[in-house]
Amino acid sequence: MDIIVCIKQIYDLAQIKVDSASRRPVTEGVAKKLSDFDKNALEEAIRIREKHGGKVLAIIRGTKDAAKEVLAMGADEAVIYEIESDSLGTATFLAGMIQNMKYDLILCGEASIDEYSFQIGPRLAQALGIAVLTYARRIELKEGGIVGERDLENGYELAEAKLPALVTVTKDINEPRIPTLVQILGASKKKITETGHAKPESGVETLSIQAVEMKRKGIILKDIGELARVIISEK
Amino acid sequence: MIGVNMDFSFSEEQELFRKSVRGFCEKKLAPRAGEIDEKGEIPNDVLADMAGFGLLGMTISEKYGGSGADFTEASIAAEEIARADISMATAVYYLVEAGWGFLMERYGTAKAREEILPGVTNGKNFLGIASTEATGGSDIASISTTLEKKEGKLVVNGAKSFISGVREAEKYGGGYVTIVKTEQEPGHKGLSVCYLPVKDTPGINTSIFKQMGREGISTGAINITNVEIPEHYLIGEWNRGIHYAMEGFNCARTLVAAACIGAAEKALESGIEYIKERQAFGTPLAKFEGIQFQMADDYARLESARLLVYRAAWMLDQMYGKNRFSHGEINKAVACCKLVAPTTAFDIIRDVLTWYGAYGYTREAGLERGLRGVYSYIIGAEGAMNIMRIIIGKEILGKDFTPY
Ligand SMILES: Cc1cc2nc3c(=O)[nH]c(=O)nc-3n(C[C@H](O)[C@H](O)[C@H](O)COP(=O)(O)OP(=O)(O)OC[C@H]3O[C@@H](n4cnc5c(N)ncnc54)[C@H](O)[C@@H]3O)c2cc1C
Repeated sequence: MDIIVCIKQIYDLAQIKVDSASRRPVTEGVAKKLSDFDKNALEEAIRIREKHGGKVLAIIRGTKDAAKEVLAMGADEAVIYEIESDSLGTATFLAGMIQNMKYDLILCGEASIDEYSFQIGPRLAQALGIAVLTYARRIELKEGGIVGERDLENGYELAEAKLPALVTVTKDINEPRIPTLVQILGASKKKITETGHAKPESGVETLSIQAVEMKRKGIILKDIGELARVIISEK
Repeated sequence: MIGVNMDFSFSEEQELFRKSVRGFCEKKLAPRAGEIDEKGEIPNDVLADMAGFGLLGMTISEKYGGSGADFTEASIAAEEIARADISMATAVYYLVEAGWGFLMERYGTAKAREEILPGVTNGKNFLGIASTEATGGSDIASISTTLEKKEGKLVVNGAKSFISGVREAEKYGGGYVTIVKTEQEPGHKGLSVCYLPVKDTPGINTSIFKQMGREGISTGAINITNVEIPEHYLIGEWNRGIHYAMEGFNCARTLVAAACIGAAEKALESGIEYIKERQAFGTPLAKFEGIQFQMADDYARLESARLLVYRAAWMLDQMYGKNRFSHGEINKAVACCKLVAPTTAFDIIRDVLTWYGAYGYTREAGLERGLRGVYSYIIGAEGAMNIMRIIIGKEILGKDFTPY
């Protein structure tokens, strides 16, 4: 079973502060980390390989230290890239990279936790012309195919696809492992391929990123009754 | 530019390891720190998780189930463990095993290593150090616990006191790297080192002290009456024990210092957040220079202690890996960090506790247990402050100026 996992390295959002004058997020000196659900995807890939054999290739938008963490967790090989584009541009770029590779399964997180577009997985599957199961909270391999439990708002759906397929996973699917010292040192010999910085054409241009303004209204209420009335009237 | 050797950064792997241990400790240890101090023990599942993550006996090689960590890596772990449990209890458990387990592997017989070390790394058994006796810990040459050869066996007699982990060794099994007298020579000449199993060993009686802090790991006494141990439990050569003891102390002391700065770092970080939020006289505490300057001093002192710790750890790694540095140079570097780190950590935790005001004095704030824990290393666990000064003095001035 050859598995590809798509991973994004993001700023650790918990550490980001907002500059009070410009309302811009300050990213200088902020540590980066692997986007949470992508780690779930990687964990699932490693578990499948541990059970069924094969290879896990991680394709990472990020730096070499992201790759080292991914390899320490258990991926066999990593490719790293940087890209300036929107979801469509990124998915098209990934498809270009992946289409000539040998794979049975592609795993992605349901979304990255910085942008939450939820688009990379489905768009990538579309570009590759393979089936996609989104929001999987459990998956199981079957003869030539895969069954996934898709988490819907009011329940779940069992869906089946033929391989090769792409699955996006939710955080409920597993608990990602934390690499130990032995795994970290052992991973230093694994292969990391750098593909450079891509700048494909994009339909979306980011003009600026600003935090929403938070202002207290400063209303002082007399009692609970008045509070209740205000809440009801404001809806 | 002359040469490129000086580099104060950690490698990518070391950074990743720190991130990993921190992630592990934040998840598995930090939420249990209050419970560890209140209940007076490290829960079994925490120890099992630590073993599973490769933290117990982590300097022991992979052959015996360890992680084969060097002292830089082991110091990173010590720092992170103490950050998560600033009472120091978990750090103590970790560091005596990492320090003395390393010595055991280096000088223990193959048979003893195979028997003892896997139990340490899998978290089933405890391994500690038994040097101090009721009559005094600083003057190691004056110990009176004896080891004698008798009909193909070794027999131990005497008593050890103020020993960490006695209840744990009784409960989980395991034992101690034990410093004993093998020849009634004056000075350090007649000392040897052996492994002393504690649980279910005929002739061993233990008792536990009530103490001031680091409640999660016990401190106790071991009475030893005609205890027979097999010959392969001798560690290193007969009568050369002082050398092994010094080496083990150097390893453990570096990790002690690393743990102290970890606890202080955690306290200082929470203190910095606190003084930015807490207001007095209509202003955040952090705006008062009386507080801000103290914070700056604390930070600078912590950084200097940290540099001493990682230099000592690096020197140990250089010594073991590349045969660099004399024992004297190592003794001095280690004594410097063990002298500076506990006091620095104590002062910083006290300052932060004071910034917290009355809340700092509550158990809930979680700072007082740090103060109580770190003080054990000022008193002298793994060597008293004045003993560190004696070591530094001796290395600088030479034997002619040593009063003993
Ligand atoms: C919590 C805790 C856990 C411990 N765990 C262990 C353990 O696991 N294994 C173990 O073997 N020991 C352990 N110890 C004991 C520790 O190693 C000793 O406390 C230490 O070596 C000092 O010995 P002492 O307490 O007998 O003090 P003493 O040696 O009696 O010294 C008393 C005081 O006199 C000072 N002093 C001594 N000699 C001189 C001198 N020449 N010049 C100036 N001042 C001097 C010392 O600095 C100290 O302040 C532990 C201690 C504590 C507090």
